[in-house]
Amino acid sequence: MSRLEAKKPSLCKTEPLTSERVRSTLSVLKGIIASCYGPSGRLKQLHNGLGGCVCTTSQSSALLRNLSVTHPILKVLTSSVQNHVCCFSDCGLFTAILCCNLIENIQRIGLTPTTAIKLNKYLLGLSISYLKSEACSCRIPVDFRSTHTFLNLVHSILTSKPACMLTRKEIDHIGALILKAFLLTIPESAEERMVLGKSIIVPLKGQQVTDSTVLPGLLIEASEVQLRRLLPTQKSSTLRVALFCASLSGDFSNAGEGTLVVHYQVSLENAVLEQLLNLGRQLVSDHVDLVLCQKVIHPSLKQFLSEHQIIAIDRVGVTLMEPLSKVTGATPIGSLYPIVSTTYGSVKDVRSARFGSKYFFHLLPNEATICSLLLCSRNDTAWEELKLTCQTAMHVLQLTIKEPWVLLGGGCVETHLAAYIRHKVHNEAEAIVRDDGCSQAELHIATEAFCSALESAAVSLEHDGGEILIDMKYGHFWSCPADSASVGNWPDTLSRCGCGLYNSQEELSWSVLRSTYHPFAPQTCLPQAASGSVSNLTVDSFTAKLSGLQVAVETANLILDLSYVIEDKN
Amino acid sequence: MASQGSVTAALRVAEVLETIANRCVGPEGGLVLCTKPTGEVLLSRDGGCLLEALHLEHPLARMIVACVSSHLKKTGDGAKTFIIFLCHLLRGLHAIGEKEKDSFTSEDIQSHERHWKNCCQWKSISRALLRFQTQTLGCIVDQHLSRHYLSAFSSSAEGRTLCRRSLELLLEPYFCGRVGRNNHRFISQLMCDYVFKCMACESGIEVFEFLDNCFVELNVGVTGLPVSESRIVDGLVLPRDFSVYCPADGGIRMVIVTEILQPLFSSSSSEFVLDSETQFQASQSWIMDRTKTVMNHLRSHNVKLLLSSVKQPDLVTYCARLNSISVVECLSSEEVSLVQRITGLSPCVLPELASQCHIADSALVRFCKPLIVRSGRYAHLGLVSTCAFVPHCVVLCGPVLGLVQQHESAFHGAFKMLRQLFTDLDLNCMIQTKERRNPSPLADSSNRESSHSPKTGKYQDVVAKNKDKLETQTRLEVYPRLGASDTELITCKLWSAHKETSIDPSQTNEIPKRLSPEKSRIVDNCEVFLENNPTGNPTAEDTRTEMSFKHLQVADNPGEGYTLPVTYKSPDTCPSQAHCSSAVPAGCVLPVGGHFEILMHFYLLNYAKQCRQSDDAVISMLIANALLGVPKILYKPKKGKDSFPHIYTRALRALQTRQPIVSGQSGFESVAGKYQLLTSVLQCLMKILTIDLIINVKRQPQKTGDQESEDEL
Repeated sequence: MSRLEAKKPSLCKTEPLTSERVRSTLSVLKGIIASCYGPSGRLKQLHNGLGGCVCTTSQSSALLRNLSVTHPILKVLTSSVQNHVCCFSDCGLFTAILCCNLIENIQRIGLTPTTAIKLNKYLLGLSISYLKSEACSCRIPVDFRSTHTFLNLVHSILTSKPACMLTRKEIDHIGALILKAFLLTIPESAEERMVLGKSIIVPLKGQQVTDSTVLPGLLIEASEVQLRRLLPTQKSSTLRVALFCASLSGDFSNAGEGTLVVHYQVSLENAVLEQLLNLGRQLVSDHVDLVLCQKVIHPSLKQFLSEHQIIAIDRVGVTLMEPLSKVTGATPIGSLYPIVSTTYGSVKDVRSARFGSKYFFHLLPNEATICSLLLCSRNDTAWEELKLTCQTAMHVLQLTIKEPWVLLGGGCVETHLAAYIRHKVHNEAEAIVRDDGCSQAELHIATEAFCSALESAAVSLEHDGGEILIDMKYGHFWSCPADSASVGNWPDTLSRCGCGLYNSQEELSWSVLRSTYHPFAPQTCLPQAASGSVSNLTVDSFTAKLSGLQVAVETANLILDLSYVIEDKN
Repeated sequence: MASQGSVTAALRVAEVLETIANRCVGPEGGLVLCTKPTGEVLLSRDGGCLLEALHLEHPLARMIVACVSSHLKKTGDGAKTFIIFLCHLLRGLHAIGEKEKDSFTSEDIQSHERHWKNCCQWKSISRALLRFQTQTLGCIVDQHLSRHYLSAFSSSAEGRTLCRRSLELLLEPYFCGRVGRNNHRFISQLMCDYVFKCMACESGIEVFEFLDNCFVELNVGVTGLPVSESRIVDGLVLPRDFSVYCPADGGIRMVIVTEILQPLFSSSSSEFVLDSETQFQASQSWIMDRTKTVMNHLRSHNVKLLLSSVKQPDLVTYCARLNSISVVECLSSEEVSLVQRITGLSPCVLPELASQCHIADSALVRFCKPLIVRSGRYAHLGLVSTCAFVPHCVVLCGPVLGLVQQHESAFHGAFKMLRQLFTDLDLNCMIQTKERRNPSPLADSSNRESSHSPKTGKYQDVVAKNKDKLETQTRLEVYPRLGASDTELITCKLWSAHKETSIDPSQTNEIPKRLSPEKSRIVDNCEVFLENNPTGNPTAEDTRTEMSFKHLQVADNPGEGYTLPVTYKSPDTCPSQAHCSSAVPAGCVLPVGGHFEILMHFYLLNYAKQCRQSDDAVISMLIANALLGVPKILYKPKKGKDSFPHIYTRALRALQTRQPIVSGQSGFESVAGKYQLLTSVLQCLMKILTIDLIINVKRQPQKTGDQESEDEL
């Protein structure tokens, strides 16, 4: 019986952003997120009082997944960031910080939502078109002849996740592994539509990070006993593989909806078993060497197969089915009876492998784009964090193939972009106002809010009380240690800008970022030599950052546009 | 517990709703964020959605919400305007009621009785409103407003075609009110592109009906991407991946199945007896053979795509893979019917597939491939259409699900609006008059009765005969009004049939009558003023209503004795019957920005001035003034020359001098939609006025019917 209960009336709040409670919760959320940002970000330990494991992290995906926010506005913000991370893996924290900053700034300046939204949108368009233009000096084209840029990208991602607890040497090791794994997923023969392969992360906890390794092909975990039975193959040629997605346990699933009457003497078990053994006989006569089954293989069939020197591996699981079918080239077989020889696949070799305390079957492919990344870490929490980081890095590399550019990282893009927008608006205010139908004063206020939101996002990278400076030539980000922050000795204390492209030995002048500086035109057009000469650049994913910027502004506009919050109290 | 239902109570409720609607209406309005008990967050600017999310408790409020939702179901637009307009109407009525009250206090009546009296008064107003809405309003729109109509069509040699510019002008203001300020322009452009891609030819406006019905299946929502990534894709996108995908090109045929292709051991309500093990094995292998045969048969007819509404067993997918047939499983019934509507294909049945004959039910597909939008994989099919709709899908992107849903529902509403716009709207002003010429048997009998009655001016006899027992309580008087003729009957307008209103403090009950002669084309209108002096008890009131009902019946009949020459002549309000085209033609639009409201306001005022009946005048004044509420709010944030008083006086001056009104905003809105809104609001108001008592029942609801209707909103 359905429950009939009067619904409680909802709670309706007007102009939610003006309430003090919303503002304070928003700033608390911003505080949490901003303190995680960057290589020197602070870690957050999340634990549920009701149980479950403790999670130590500084990544947006783990942080927001575990954080429970109650206010609907924060829900919009966090789910927007989470959705972004789902699509791009990277730049989640940046998106969240920028969004919070924008909301706070616009609230402070008190423009009407319509004007603020319109101008934000305009400024976003300005930023996007600049970042996509040839004149942009923050964007470096990826050189596919060397792994230089890719390595820089992976390094930047690894260093920005302090919760992985990696040493410098470990970062180099893992970085190289990620790149290697990524390269193994690229098919050799380029067709019209390139389909990237897959690298599967295999957990191995309790080992040194430097024990991690990349293997071509697949690793299937097995017990020691199973592996001991595996005899060294006599064949020199490739092994024939049969891959089953149907159950080989002799169950009977297609009985239909009606009743089935079985006579007393009839044993269905025997009947099914006989069918299974028939299948076994066929496999033997087809010279199959390896039988893989997604589900369970009947012990009798297993016995039969091993008597005929056929390796049988069952309970592979549905997640491995697609990679297995790719590695072996076999078609998953869904029935017991009509097996066509074209469904068989092949592997080069099957070996037993032992890593740490775990045993694996290692399927070596003839030619495939599947590889296994055996990831080691000392403890569970660090491993979870490392796994997420590796996935992020892998995804970002894939995105970079589609759009072969990277953006300068380390806060330099943000400060440079802010300087560019300030300059542009300062010079072309009249033309902009004419098209947009708002006053010049409104434009300047909104620009200031937008640019300082970008700059505050960059400032969030600094957690140790240092001073943040901007140079007046390139508009890059410079961090000055806390103890030596006097104006006179800046050229000596500063070494390199945030991304590492420029050093302080050039004739540069600086200004404190928080103070207002006179709008200047940051140097556009990246000198080609500059990017080549510097070995260790901090770079970000172009696609992820651009989308993060868009999502942040769009979400902020969305939240600014709210005039009511209606909470269903049922 | 019971509370009195009155205009005051309704006004209080409506005012609360109005303050909410005020902030969200028009281009300056904001978004509403609704949370569901499940924790989902929904963003909306849709008034219907907003009202539903409030879960209102007050019974009057729930009634208003129900009225709004039924209006939305028809037109897909105008929920917020509905509330604002209703509130203004109630405010106007309340002001009239206050005046009345002053007169009551002088008399020494108990409050309880006063309430009853109020109720009667509201009820009669409600009836007068009904008449005004059904008969007068349509004609005012038809005669005066039609001068200002613009058409969304551009006429060409092939007939009516829809040009891109006019569609843009229609959609932009619509999305301005329905989508967040951030995206409305982009979304309206996207929709414009979409409409033109879906239309087989420029005059193919029947596509809107199709889109309105099927849009839910024609869009795919993707979260995590900026809204600007939204795009239109050719063909149909199913929101699930292929179970089996085999690349194929050229000459792909497709079949739909709604059952499992593998034969089962036993069907429901049948019995399968297994005698031996060999029999079991034989039947197993028969099943496998059979499945294999079916799939081979499909392949031999070049079928390379199998759409299934059910999950197929492993064996079927395996056989499909062997035969390089792509399979998409678990299609919803809506998706199946959409594919059927586009391709004209009907699902295959197993016997047909198993027999070796030709497969009739297969359709050609241009391509079938997976569509990858970031992390999601979808089945993308290039269906070949057999109807006016060229299959295209919209991929709607947004950072959060709530926004994607908002855009989806805005798209859907826009299709509904366009569909409404491109169909003729019957104003039913003339039609009703004609229908009334055929008296019902009941009316016939009373007709005979009334013809027995001696002459005009002897109404009381008629009534007395009709309702004998009333004679003692009722005294009927026929007033000679306006002194236009020495008979007591005055003709009024051609179309208005009955008006009944009590606005007189001395509780006069007016029953005007329209009597159409059998032969002459001129319809005369008689007004009979019926004064009733009740003795002050409720039963008297009750019988009075009954009696006036009788009067209406009498008035319905064409009676020879009542025909009199027309004394009131006005070229504006008395056109010949042939001149009347009682419909808003398809595609009629007016500029946005309260244009409709100001025009209607002007003509209603004019009508009120010319109208010699005080009740009619009062009602049209009431509606005219309430109409201004909407533009007042729309122009609220504007200053200087664009503020409401300036716009209003400019428009009135232009109307008086018969010059075109200059509109500051570009964009059109549908006349039919606006007119329907007006009538819906009036109907809602009538419903409110007829309620006299609200009884609160504290018991479990008996059946779910009521709850379901709430959920439908």
